[in-house]
Parts: sequence; structure tokens; C-alpha cells
Amino acid sequence: MSITRRKVLAGSAAAAGAASLASGLASPAIAANEPLRIGFLPALTGPSSSTGVAMNRGTLLAVDEINAAGGVNGRKIEIIVRDTQSDATKAVNAIAELTSRQKVAMIWGPLNSGETLAATPLCARAGIPMIHPCWVDTLIDVKKYPMSFRSAPTNEQIGEAANHYVMDVLKAKKVAVIGDNAGYATATVAAYVPLLKKKGGTVVYEGNVDAANPDLKPELLRMRDGGAEAIMPWSVNAGFLARILNTRAAMGWDVPVVGQTTLGSGQTKALLDKPENWAKVYSNNFKNCCYAGDGKLPALAADFRGRIAKAKIDMNDTLLWWIACGYDAPKLIAETVKAAGDSPKDITAYLNKLKNWPGINATLTFTPEQHNGVPDAEVVMCQANSLKDGAFNLAPGYGA
Amino acid sequence: MLESIVSYGLAVGAVYAMIGITYNVMFTASRAFSFTAGMLGMLGGVLGALFIDRLGLPAIVGLLLVLACGAVMGVITEIVAVRPVLKSIEQHLYVLSTLAFALLIAQFTAIEWGTDAAPFPRLIPIGEGLLDQKFWIPMLACAVTVVGLELLYRKTLIGRAFLAIAEDAYAARALGLPEVRLRLASFALAGMIGSLAGFAGGEMLLAFFGNQSILNFYGFVPVALGGMGNNRGALVAGLLLGLFQQAANFLVGGIFASVAVFVVFIIVLLLRPEGFAGASGARRV
Amino acid sequence: MHLRWLEGRLTFLLLAIAAVGLPLLDDSYAGVIATRACIYWILISGLNLVVGYAGQIAIGWVALLTLGAYTTAVLTAGTVTPEISPYIALVASGAIGVVAGVIVGLPALRLRTFYFAMTTLGFATIVTQIALAWKSVTGGGIGTPGPVFPWPFAPGWGFYYFCLILAALCTWMTANIASSRFGRSLIAIRDAEVAAEASGVAKPALLVTVFVFSGALAGVSGGLFSSLQSYITPDAFTFDLSVLFFIAILIGGRGSILGPLLGTILLTVLPEIAAPLVAWSTFLYAALLLLIVLLIPGGIADMLDYRNRRPLQQHREIVPQPALLPSLLDRPAGGALELSNIALAFGGVRAIDGLSLDFHSGEVHGLIGPNGSGKTTTLNVISGYYHPQTGQARLNGATLPFGAPHRRAGFRIARTFQTPRLIGGASVLENVMIGGTIDGRGTFAESLLTLPRHRRDERMLRERALQALTVVGLETLAGVRADRLQHSELRFMEIARALTLRPAFLMLDEPAAGLSAEEIRRLGALIKAISRAGTGVLLVEHHADLIFDICDRVTVLNLGKILAAGTPAEIRSHREVVSAYLGA
Repeated sequence: MSITRRKVLAGSAAAAGAASLASGLASPAIAANEPLRIGFLPALTGPSSSTGVAMNRGTLLAVDEINAAGGVNGRKIEIIVRDTQSDATKAVNAIAELTSRQKVAMIWGPLNSGETLAATPLCARAGIPMIHPCWVDTLIDVKKYPMSFRSAPTNEQIGEAANHYVMDVLKAKKVAVIGDNAGYATATVAAYVPLLKKKGGTVVYEGNVDAANPDLKPELLRMRDGGAEAIMPWSVNAGFLARILNTRAAMGWDVPVVGQTTLGSGQTKALLDKPENWAKVYSNNFKNCCYAGDGKLPALAADFRGRIAKAKIDMNDTLLWWIACGYDAPKLIAETVKAAGDSPKDITAYLNKLKNWPGINATLTFTPEQHNGVPDAEVVMCQANSLKDGAFNLAPGYGA
Repeated sequence: MLESIVSYGLAVGAVYAMIGITYNVMFTASRAFSFTAGMLGMLGGVLGALFIDRLGLPAIVGLLLVLACGAVMGVITEIVAVRPVLKSIEQHLYVLSTLAFALLIAQFTAIEWGTDAAPFPRLIPIGEGLLDQKFWIPMLACAVTVVGLELLYRKTLIGRAFLAIAEDAYAARALGLPEVRLRLASFALAGMIGSLAGFAGGEMLLAFFGNQSILNFYGFVPVALGGMGNNRGALVAGLLLGLFQQAANFLVGGIFASVAVFVVFIIVLLLRPEGFAGASGARRV
Repeated sequence: MHLRWLEGRLTFLLLAIAAVGLPLLDDSYAGVIATRACIYWILISGLNLVVGYAGQIAIGWVALLTLGAYTTAVLTAGTVTPEISPYIALVASGAIGVVAGVIVGLPALRLRTFYFAMTTLGFATIVTQIALAWKSVTGGGIGTPGPVFPWPFAPGWGFYYFCLILAALCTWMTANIASSRFGRSLIAIRDAEVAAEASGVAKPALLVTVFVFSGALAGVSGGLFSSLQSYITPDAFTFDLSVLFFIAILIGGRGSILGPLLGTILLTVLPEIAAPLVAWSTFLYAALLLLIVLLIPGGIADMLDYRNRRPLQQHREIVPQPALLPSLLDRPAGGALELSNIALAFGGVRAIDGLSLDFHSGEVHGLIGPNGSGKTTTLNVISGYYHPQTGQARLNGATLPFGAPHRRAGFRIARTFQTPRLIGGASVLENVMIGGTIDGRGTFAESLLTLPRHRRDERMLRERALQALTVVGLETLAGVRADRLQHSELRFMEIARALTLRPAFLMLDEPAAGLSAEEIRRLGALIKAISRAGTGVLLVEHHADLIFDICDRVTVLNLGKILAAGTPAEIRSHREVVSAYLGA
């Protein structure tokens, strides 16, 4: 068969494509003044991106502050951002690139559980430590993934905090639990119902509904008929949550709604028929980021808020704890590397001994057996309609 | 409960029926099914929210602007995605070109407008509960569309010209009918109907870029069941679909309701590929 | 004679070398991307047969990826069943893929293009919903971990080689099918369904076979996908993936193996290179698809097809060689085909009203009449496309069943069409080889693996087709794309295709339309020679001279009834025929 010019061209194009993919910058050994590379995998676009956008702001603020103050032992932090687009496939690709080609010292993220579930094993295989703020319980496993840490509460902690508020503070025994049919919601509803029952509660309604369903009245009617004294919605879909609140108002049913953080978000607020529909709604939050009884934020958070304002970060459409969470991680990473060096073993050893690290979002503690860093007591409920400058009042009845 | 099923069912069914009619109008003009019907519905909702909520225009002005945008979208669809393909031998390419175009617009909307569902403004402050205007606006819009189309096709010259080019394009051209201009007008009309559907249904479906795929499918079911090009069939099938979907949501709930709709759809199509009221295909040899 | 897929052999080789040598670059990121490309290609190579070759618009194929992924993941996780080896789980995924492929594909047999596309979309949504709802098995929204393959195919480069081997295998197998009579039949169904039926291609059986094979590949691909991802949740199987699969094939070009392969690599690598554009990636995919459809419907394969851009010789002449016919049609004579008392009405229109006709081996029987008199309809009745209300067709006394046009080839009844039905994108030789499809003995599986019987079939068909082309005088154009031929050459090509069946009966529908006077003369000589070699010819024509020149008998139709029948001389002077049709 004759070898024509075209065939050589086509073949070369293919080979060149493969080569260009493979050729990264040759990375020399990390010398003393090389930048400290941290990989960051937020979901800046796609369906689950509102948290990502907010955390990104906090992260970039932290990196700017650290670098302005001289960096880590003289090394500047270089944060390499890869937008996962809320897609686990892209998260896997990005982890591979960051660990193998960019040679990052540590990974911060991904920010959504679905992506982190896929990214963790790969990161572990690459031998790079990782810290993330995702809630799904199974993400942390000290035996399988000894270098993976969590800077957020687990789903179980969130559920326990909400259940505690409903049953112990509001004294409601009959509860309705509802979610949409996205991944997070189905798993969460299934996990929290047994927790409620263990506490002695009666679950009079348990269901997952299509988020696009315009009519939630049949569901709420069923809840009311069952005698529900509280509704606990678990969903990150603002439209779905807003519909629940609007339907509750349309029915004239004065039952407290206690559930997912998104209940208190600006998106949910925008979809309410009337502002009054936001009354008696309590969502998850962090003690460190809430207005206490005296109407003031804890000192660290207040100070942080000042710095955010100076950096001209828009607080209108976002929550303080998201930005704080995004801020804490690079701060922690910088401190760790400063104290222990940037090898995976040293970073892991240092984090395993971390005790009461004063994060703005949460006070973190790790041990070799426990990589979930947030203490139970700091996971609280807040009052949704008290949203002011991205933070909320603690829900009534806590007494602290 | 029953009243809830009836109000929501008929209202959302009216929206589906109108999207089905959008498909039909594009089909009768070009013998091609376009994937853009759902996109037009989605734009009706998104643009309506944009004009009335964000830009603060009065509802009527918003409606007229939305209809105008719909017409423009319809025309662009015809020029970009349908006409070039009709000329080629491979007729089914229109499936791909219209799919590509619809995806393009949907992605653009997702990026510019955002991926979350945004609220749609309350159009007329009358009605309470199940008699709220958000239920009977879609039904009204649907009725106006159906009656309007009947009158157009049967009583006006231009309507009969539409039917002529649908029936036999060559003969119509031979008679001197301006085929291209008529097809453009048909697509503009379809664009208006589609965006009207999205606008009328906005309060229920919200301004959400994901409505495109929802409406694409649920708007197609009335066409499949009612017969291609058959508007009355689409109307009946659309309303029935709305009622069935709401009843399933209520009785079975959540995931299984949508599965139920799909399964029924596929079974019906397999039993009667031309739909309940459709005619079998023409000679192909 | 080279068929198109062979052209890219050098490219395949270069790709293979680049792929095998990839680990030398010591970049596990490239490894992940390359593994992903291999996994996608395994699925796309199968889908290519469905979309690119059979022309079915199966958009929701991600459903099969989902099913395959969950099957492997669940079986290896040991939560629902005892832990199963990942290799066996992979086979199970393939089996599930087969079942799902048939379920998704069956509607294709009954539904039009757009409807079928919609049902595939619906199916994809159902599968995702089921994955979400069936928490006890799939883990619901949380998902489930994917399998880890043991050494030597452990995660990393080992797994990459595993996927690469499978991808290479799929490339080889689908390329084999593409250059077999199954591949040609698929394209025939896509572009010239009526001609495919006339050549004996049974669409349902073939489509189901392709859906089975394609489904198996997709299922296996899903299993591998779940291993690459380490963890799968329902959200990972987006509509965007379906679009990606689909676009890879379209960009690559339908009817090609190399094109979609390059398309797959392109679409997997592109988002990684264009990082800032990542938010716009689906937008760009859609734009790319639109551009391809409008500007280069043939895709990359067409762009690479330089050979078919070489100018053809001008002023070509068609010089048939009827003397070669006896060696081609070397089989016993057929007998007689007769219609008795056929009546066929479409709604209120009586297309044929009590028609009795017969023609037998060795004769040329002309069928003439004004437009609308029922000539083509008569042919279509004999071909089996129409079911008359009354009357029978008989072949040597045995009844010919109506409504089963693809069985006619088995009776050695061949035909040409009023408008030439051709596969524009295939070569003239491939078009003609379709005529002999039913004489292939090998099964789909044998073609998949190029076992000896497949090779024998191909050799036989190619020889016969070349012979037929030589007989009609087109052998110099054998390798040319059929859509580059002139109209008259297409008419002769159709005759060559019919001859490849070695027909006992040949029906020609206005073969002289659009031919020059000299070409008509040669056509006439050819037709006469065909009949003298033993085939019975029924010739529908408007060219009176041709009819009277070569026909042994002539029947005249008017308004669905026989106006007159007899020898050419009798007909020429028949008063009513002259007044109704011939003119003075």
C-alpha cells in the first residue's frame, strides 16, 4: 500500500496530539524558593456551583493574604484552580493532572460529594494529601485513605444537630422528612430517618419527590394528616425548598421547617411568594459564623468580615460560612507546610496531631483515628429569615 | 386532592399541548421535526422573567417582547438549522442540526442566565388557591392558540397556503406560492406559540434552562400520541398527559411518576407508531 | 481493490505506536485521559455501527454505559451478591448491555427517526431514575464504588493497557464488520433502504444483531468506566456524555471507523487542552455538531478522503461487454413468473384493475403505457412492496407471498428503480456487491473475527461484482464514490447490482431515462444479451424505440388495465394504443 503524504500527515497529527497531551512542563525537584503548589477543585459552573463560587472567593482571599505577608517560609503559594463543572469525570481528570503533572503538595477540594467520592481513591493512589469540605459520611476512611481529611461536618453530624434541635429544643416528636430525588437528598433522607427513630421520634412521612414537580401540596397534606410537628427537608435545590415553604404558607400551616443549609440561602429567598413564608425556618450552620444572643458574631468571624469588606467581596448572594470555609483550608495548609515541610508524610503527621485549630468556620481537630475535623457542638441550627450580610442568628432555644 | 390534580394537570397539560402544537407547526411547514420546540418554551419562561422581573417592564410589554423573540428564534431556526438540511439528500440530518442548535441556545442560557431555576413573576394579581391565575393562564393561552390556528388554516388564504406547502411543496411552488417565505412564516409562528407556552406556564415551571429537555420530551408525547401534524390530537393528548402525570405524582410520587410516563409513551408508540389519530406513512418506493 | 477502511491503516498503526508507547512519558495524567479515550471508544465503536452505519439516531446511549457501570460495580462490591471477580463482572455487564441494547433498539424497527431518537432519550432518563431509586442495589444517590482490577491490570498503567487492548480489539472487530457484507447492508439500509430490501437484506434481523453487539460493547465500556472513576453516582451519567458519543461519530464521519476514532480522541482531549473554555464545552460541542452537519456532513473521514477528490476522467464512455454474461449468470434457467388478476387500490384510487401478466426466461417483455397507468405499481407488486386486494403472483407455479420484499432476492428476482437508489458515500464496487448479499454464507460472528468463511464470501462477492461491472462497462470506476458518477453511469450501476444476484428474473424500471442515444443503444444490446443468457426481463419504459427494438412481447397498460398485449409489430399498429399513448 502506498504511503501518501496525507496518511503521514494524519498519522503525525495523531502522534503529535498524543505527545502534546503528554508533554507538561518538566517539573524540577521542589527547591527552597519554588512556589508552594496547591491544587484546588471547585465546581465553578454547572448545577452545584453556588457553594463553589463562594468558597473560591474565600480561598483566593486567603492565598492573597498569605502571599502578601511573605508566603510560607519565603515561598509563595501558587493555587492551581481546576473547575470540575460539578462533574465527577472532570474531577478525576483534574486530580490526575494536578497530582501527576502539576506536582501539587496538597489538594483542597473537590467541593461536592459526588466528585470527591471519585477523586479520593485516585488522590490516595497518587500519594498526595487532600482536605475537603464534603459531607457524605463514607468519604473519610482512615484505613483506606490515610491522607484524606475533612474540614466540614459529616452528614451524620448535620443530621444529629437538626434532629437534636427538632426533638430536644422544639420538643417535636412527630416529624416529616422529605427530599428531592437528587443524589444528596435520597441518601440523606435514608440516613436521617433511622437517626430520628433512634432518638425516639416518630417519622410520620418519609419521601423523595421529583424536584421539578410544581405541586407539593399532596405531600404536605399527607404530612399534616399524619400529625407532623416539624418538616425536615433535605435538598440543595432552592426551587424545591421554596415550593415547600410556599405551600406551607398557602395551607396556612404554622409548622417549623428544620433542615438543609440551602433553606437559608438567597436563592431560596428569591423564590418565596411572600417574605413571611420564611418565618420559622431553621437551617444548618456553624456556631462560629452565627450571630449569638447579643447579635454579634464571634470575634474571629467579625474580624474576618471586616477583611472581606475591604477586599470588596460581594456578600449579597452568598453565605459567610462558605467563604470562611474556603478561607480556612489554604490557611491550614500554609500553616502545616510552614511547620512540617511539604512532603506528604510530614503533612499527614502534622495534621494527625492538630488540636483545636482556630478556623473561622470551624475549630478543627484531627487524630490518626479521626479525620473528621469539626466538633459536634459547633454544628448548630440558625434562623433562616435573619439573614444579614451573609450570616444568621442562632436559632432560638439554644442558650449560648 | 382531586381539584389539585385537575388544576395542575390541565394547566401543565395545556403547556405540553402547546409545545406539541409548536412541533406540529414546524413539521407541517417542513416535514421535519425540530428539537427546538422545548428550547422555545424554555426561552419563553426565561425571557419573560428577564423582561418583567429584571428589567421591570409591564407584563403586557414583556409578553409582546417574548413573542417577538420567539418569532425571531423560529426564523433563525429555519434559516440555520432547517433550510440548509432540507436541500440535501439526507433528510434526517435535520434531527441533528436542530438538536445542535437547541443545545447551543440552552447552554448559552445556562451560562448567561444561570443554572438555577429563577422565579417567574406573578402576571395578574387575581385568583386564589386552585383558581389562581397561574393555572388558567396556560389554559387560556392554549385555547387561543388552538382556535387561532383553526381559523388561520381554514378561513384565511395564508393559512391555506401553509397547508398547501405542507401537502405538496412542489405543486405549491408550481402554483406560484412562495414556499420559502411561507416556511419562514410558519417557523416564526411556531416560535411564537412555543414561547407563549413557556411564558404562560412560567409561574409553574419557573425560569429554568433545564425546562428545555423537560418540555422537549413532554411536549413531544402529545405529538406522538395525537399523530404528527394533528393539532387537535396534540391538544387532547397534552391535556391527558398533564392529568396522568399529576395523578401519578400524587398516587405514586417522585421517581416512578416520570418512569410511568416514559413507559406508557414507549408502549403506545410501539403499538401504534403513528399515534392514535395519525395516518400511516406515504408510499416510499 | 481497497475498501475505505483499509486506507487508514497507516494511521491506525501510528496511533497504536503512540498509544503503546505512552507510559514512556511517565505522566499518569496522560494515562488517565488516554484510558478514558479507550473506554469511550469501546462504546463509540459499537455505537458507530448503529449511528454511523445503520443510520439510527440513538441519542440516549449513555443509558447502556450506566447499566454496564452499575452492573460491574455492584457485582464486585459484594453488597448484593457475593463478591465476583471483576473480569466476570465485566462479562455480565456485556450481557446486560446486550439485553438493554435490544430493548433500546427494538423501537427502531417500528418508529421513524425522530420518534426513535426520543425513545432513546426517554430510556436514558428511566435508567438514571432507576439508579437513583433502587437504593438497596445501586446505593441510590450516594452511589457505589467501582471495581479495582488485580495485577497486571491494576489501576494506573496496567489498567490503561487493559483498556487499550480491548479498544484495539473493538477497532479490529468493527472494522471487520464494516468491510463485510453486513457493514454494506447496514449502510444500504441507511441510504437506500428500498434497494437493500430488493437485494435481500432483512432489516429487522440485521438491526437487532447490531444492537446486540453494540449493546455488549457499551456494557463492557460501562464496567471499565466504573473502574476508572473508582466511584460512580447517577449524576456522572449526564446527557452531555450521550451528546459526546454521538458527536464523536458525526464529526468522524458516518460509514467510517477511523473517523469516529479520531473524533473520540479529539473530544476526550479537547476539554483538557482548552481549560479556560471548560464552562463552554457543551456549547462548543453543539456548535461543532451544527457546523459539521451544515458544512461537512461527511465529517473528518470525508476530509481525509483525498482519493475521492482526484478528478475523474472526462468524457467517459460506458462500454458494456455482454459477451461476458454467460460466465456471470452461469446457473440454470428460471422458468416463468406470472401475475393473475391483480387488483390494487389506494384508498379510492384503482391503481391496478384486474391485471394478468407473465414473463419467462429468455425473453424481454416490455411494459408500456401513459404516466399513472400502473407500470411501476405492477413492478412493486411483483417485488412484494404492495399487497393487492385480489390476485396472485406465481413463480413456476408456486405462489409468491406479498408484503415480504426482502424475500424476493431469494427467488432470484432482481430489479432496478425509477430513480437510482445508491449509497452515495460508498464506492461503486461496494454498491454493486450489495446485490449478491444473500449469497454470503458467513454469519455476523464470523465476519467479526474474519474467519475463513467470511474471507471466502468477500472474495466471491468482490469477484462477482467486478464481473458484473465489467459486463455493464463500468469496471474502471469500481473504486470511485458512487455519488460522483453521472446519471447514466448510475443506471448501469444499478443493473450491475441486479446482475450480481445472478437473477432468474430481472425487472427494469425506466432504465433508459436520461441516457443519450448511443447509451440507449448499448443498453438495449445489454438487456437483450441478459435475456438470451437465460434471465427473464420485464422492461418498463417510455422510449418506444428501445421497446420495439429489443422486446419479444409487449404489454400496454392504461388506467391500471391492459389495453393491448402482443408482439411489438402488433402493438405498434394497434389503433387504441396509438391513440392513447404512442401518437401517430
